[in-house]
Amino acid sequence: MLDSKIPSGPLKEKWANHKLHLKLVNPANKRKYQVIVVGTGLAGSSAAATLAELGYRVKVFCIQDSPRRAHSIAAQGGINAAKNYANDGDSIDRLFYDTIKGGDFRAREANVYRLAEVSHAIIDHCVAQGVPFAREYSGYLDNRSFGGAQVSRTFYARGQTGQQLLLGAYSALMKEVSRGNVEIHPRTEMLDLVTIDGVAKGIITRDLISGKVESHAADAVILATGGYSSVFYLSTNAKACNATAIWRAHKRGAFLANPCFTQIHPTCIPVHGDYQSKLTLMSEGLRNDGRVWVPKNANDKRDPSKVQIAERDYFLERKYPTFGNLVPRDIASRNAKEMCDSGHGVGETGMAVYLDFADAIKRLGKEKISERYGNLFEMYEKISGDNPYEKPMMIYPAPHYTMGGLWVDYNLMSTIPGLFVLGEANFSDHGANRLGASALMQGLADGYFIIPYTIGDYLAQTTPAGMDLTSFPAFREAEGQVVQKVSRLLAAKGKRTADDFHKQLGKLLWDKCGMARNEAGLRQALNQIPAIRQEFWENVNVPGSGEDLNQSLEKAGRVADYLEFAELFVMDALHRNESCGGHFREEFQTPEGEAKRDDSKFCYVAAWQHQESGAEPVLHKEPLKFESVNLTQRSYK
Amino acid sequence: MLKTIHHFQTSIGRKQVVATTGLMLILFIIGHLIGNLLIFGGPELYNGYAAFLVKLRPGLFVIEGALGVVFLIHIFFTYMLIHDNVRARPKNYKIVATKSERSFATQIMPFTGTIIFAFLFYHLWDFTFTPHHGAQSILRDGKDYGLYGLVYNAFSDPLHSTFYIIAMMCLGFHLSHGVESFFQTYGVTNTKHTATIRMISQTFGVLVGWSFSMIPVYILVKNLSGN
Amino acid sequence: MDKKLNLKLMLWRQNGAKDKGKFETYKVKDIDVSMSFLEMLDVLNETLTREGQEPVAFDHDCREGICGACGAVVNGKAHGKLKGTTLCQLHMRHFENNETIVIEPWRAKGFPVIKDLVVDRSSFDRIIAAGGYISAKTGSAPDANAIPVAKESVEQSMDAAACIGCGACVAACPNAAAMLFVGAKISHLVLLPQGKVESKTRTGNMVHQMDKEGFGNCSNEYECEAACPKSISVSNIALMNREFMFSKNPPKP
Repeated sequence: MLDSKIPSGPLKEKWANHKLHLKLVNPANKRKYQVIVVGTGLAGSSAAATLAELGYRVKVFCIQDSPRRAHSIAAQGGINAAKNYANDGDSIDRLFYDTIKGGDFRAREANVYRLAEVSHAIIDHCVAQGVPFAREYSGYLDNRSFGGAQVSRTFYARGQTGQQLLLGAYSALMKEVSRGNVEIHPRTEMLDLVTIDGVAKGIITRDLISGKVESHAADAVILATGGYSSVFYLSTNAKACNATAIWRAHKRGAFLANPCFTQIHPTCIPVHGDYQSKLTLMSEGLRNDGRVWVPKNANDKRDPSKVQIAERDYFLERKYPTFGNLVPRDIASRNAKEMCDSGHGVGETGMAVYLDFADAIKRLGKEKISERYGNLFEMYEKISGDNPYEKPMMIYPAPHYTMGGLWVDYNLMSTIPGLFVLGEANFSDHGANRLGASALMQGLADGYFIIPYTIGDYLAQTTPAGMDLTSFPAFREAEGQVVQKVSRLLAAKGKRTADDFHKQLGKLLWDKCGMARNEAGLRQALNQIPAIRQEFWENVNVPGSGEDLNQSLEKAGRVADYLEFAELFVMDALHRNESCGGHFREEFQTPEGEAKRDDSKFCYVAAWQHQESGAEPVLHKEPLKFESVNLTQRSYK
Repeated sequence: MLKTIHHFQTSIGRKQVVATTGLMLILFIIGHLIGNLLIFGGPELYNGYAAFLVKLRPGLFVIEGALGVVFLIHIFFTYMLIHDNVRARPKNYKIVATKSERSFATQIMPFTGTIIFAFLFYHLWDFTFTPHHGAQSILRDGKDYGLYGLVYNAFSDPLHSTFYIIAMMCLGFHLSHGVESFFQTYGVTNTKHTATIRMISQTFGVLVGWSFSMIPVYILVKNLSGN
Repeated sequence: MDKKLNLKLMLWRQNGAKDKGKFETYKVKDIDVSMSFLEMLDVLNETLTREGQEPVAFDHDCREGICGACGAVVNGKAHGKLKGTTLCQLHMRHFENNETIVIEPWRAKGFPVIKDLVVDRSSFDRIIAAGGYISAKTGSAPDANAIPVAKESVEQSMDAAACIGCGACVAACPNAAAMLFVGAKISHLVLLPQGKVESKTRTGNMVHQMDKEGFGNCSNEYECEAACPKSISVSNIALMNREFMFSKNPPKP
């Protein structure tokens, strides 16, 4: 029943052929279609801007006070593209292969190939938009290397690539706003999806300032609402990141795919207290010049400067001589955890490893290092109080990105017709682990170069509503449910704050379903989550009213959805009896402690269907067929 | 034409008017200063310069009139800017602190401007609209020294001199920010030149302030020493 | 490092745009010095919630100094006393035990208060919509390396593009002017060959919109640069002024 709609024909021609066969909407008719875009990160903004340029009427929603603040802005290191400007052997095929392999062979070949294919156009377009990518003295674009690749294909704008790309997409969006083609609704949260006869026809929103619950109808709905890393409470995601939109869509019938594929980023500033509200990422780019090490002797609490070279274990370089410090994220993270678990960890808590720049500074000079990473070093010093030019950084892995998300077909349409899902919110391109600098690439590929084609195909086969659907019973009912949920949260008047519950859930998931998972732990988590959820509804305290800006209420609603989502998340991790990429099941590992896939049983996408009755969700399997690559045990040695 | 009017209705346009009129006033001040410094050359040279200026009339009246208009425009546009600025922050902070190293001169611009405005009338009444011959021009030797005598007598009064010196210091401060502002408002400043421009601006302000003040100081000292 | 602080907070509370607002005093105890300023506010809010009071509303999101959501005037200084720092990156180690901290929202006509420390900065979005873009349609671009751009220009452009749109420049300016924000966007684009094409209309349109939003005028006091968490230079304002002389003005509305 899951039709991925992957076009036939050779891999390299699939997208070109597909585009040729997609139906088109006549330019004069485009104005008749209303499209809703939820989320204004790279995927949402780029999609909204491009669809508006094509002539569709677009409404855009975001929870931030401005579309420019979506969390894509925090991406630091860069964006991949197979330009091969570095003349080091890159190609579309190599980017494709690196991404498939990096994802531990759990992504769709056709989607990934298309991603690599359009990567060129993204860079071209961003340059034309005024993104100030780093350049050489020649005036041509510069590249850096990133984890999981042996070529330099990452384009960057200092340590603020995500910001610059988002500002590019945002400015394109604002251009369309000024031309009257886009209507933006900032500080507005989508709280439900509305379907009529099983087809997505609109959303229910809450105005975060006035508290007003409203209906918005459209001929197609696009979700670009990001990932769910903050289900762990502590993550590198922004505080407002949440899974409400995708969870609501899931409950309305959209399948959720591979939720257990979460990425734990190896280079983050370690946790230092209970009050901590978020974890800060230090770009993966740092691993280009920084060397990761721990003391060879366990429980060696000496100052790092006192630990002689011979007493240091550069464990990534030792175990993976080919890729060294630039192994993919899942591997780097797991090794750091292993080192800390075996007592080699450093810092006050023993839950950190060093990332040392002393050699790079010696080789390149402080100035060059500062030019490359200056802002990151400053940020590190602000947070930790230590100067990384003099003392090695301390880092520890933290939840960062989620490869899982709503299931989409090749056209990026979910199992609900008319509901499209872009960027991190969908599951499609990164398999079980995402390579660095590929999230930006995917978000923009989806928004600029894929959805504008595929949505046309859907709309061409849909008659524009031509009338206001919001008076339909489906909208009235959904609105009623949203209002009811809001009042239920406000009425609980319990003793604990929403944050308190979120922390409890997050800690449980981090312990049982984090970097390493096992059956017993997952079962425990499955037992505990419903109890936390029940207590939440009885004992949460949401002060204030629903009629004005109420940040506690916003938070509580998102935590409530996380408490439901978490169960599916753990269930998926429990069902996948193999290790792959970011999903590491302790029972399934190679003798060297690497993730051990089980291709005979688990070479599929796990797409979960929600059951209305409250029964267990139903698992649907989309088998992954690999025609162009051989499934191998990933090796970065 | 309409375009130009619109231009001067914008925030930046208005500032450019203030900067342009400011520049004109600076040119005038330089000329005026050079003329005034002739006082060090003695009564003959100084009065000769005054007589030369009188000869330029009535053409000079036109220039002086234009200068007056420039001065008024400078003040009027500044007033409009300040008016907008006050409206732009309807409620002020409980604590007003500064994070920059902005100079003292910058902070007291409106104050120094007001003093200069008041001074101008005093100065005109003092030396321009007072007869250049008569009791007020007669020095100790009983001779009428014309304008030179008038100035000499005025500055022999320490109170009178002090007021002039204060006004000239205000002018100095006003210019030390004003010149820099001129460059900024016309977009000449960039990160490379900021420090140089600031130095030029401050030096200019100090120089003008000191040079003008030299005159009353010189006369005071000269008078006290009994010459 | 284990130092704990007890602090007195004088916080601006305002219940909605129409409320007059007033200062309330709160005490927070045992604040760890490695907390961020916002985490200190979290502690206050958790306490207020447990006591049945409404927590303090403040904007925040990424908490790593890049989204530009957070910001408040702390003891008279936008984003607090550290230079080049957003409020979320200001850590409590920079405060003294028993200190009184006065916390106010950005105050400007262009940024009306929504609630407590939350202000409406949509004026910035409207300024960008007025022209802060390059009108390149998706799909129309030549190869990224077709037009070389001098490294120096791109670095300067990036310096300006680093703006996070937090509004501290407006908050810190004695005249509540938005010149640094607008100047930075104009510089970012005009320093690139791609952005030169429509620079004349862009500058005019953006400046007019800025004026319409009720921001003040620049009096070259450079408080904005000092308060900017990305230390964006006032030379960007100079560049905007220069560009403006040659700009095309939009028709008067």
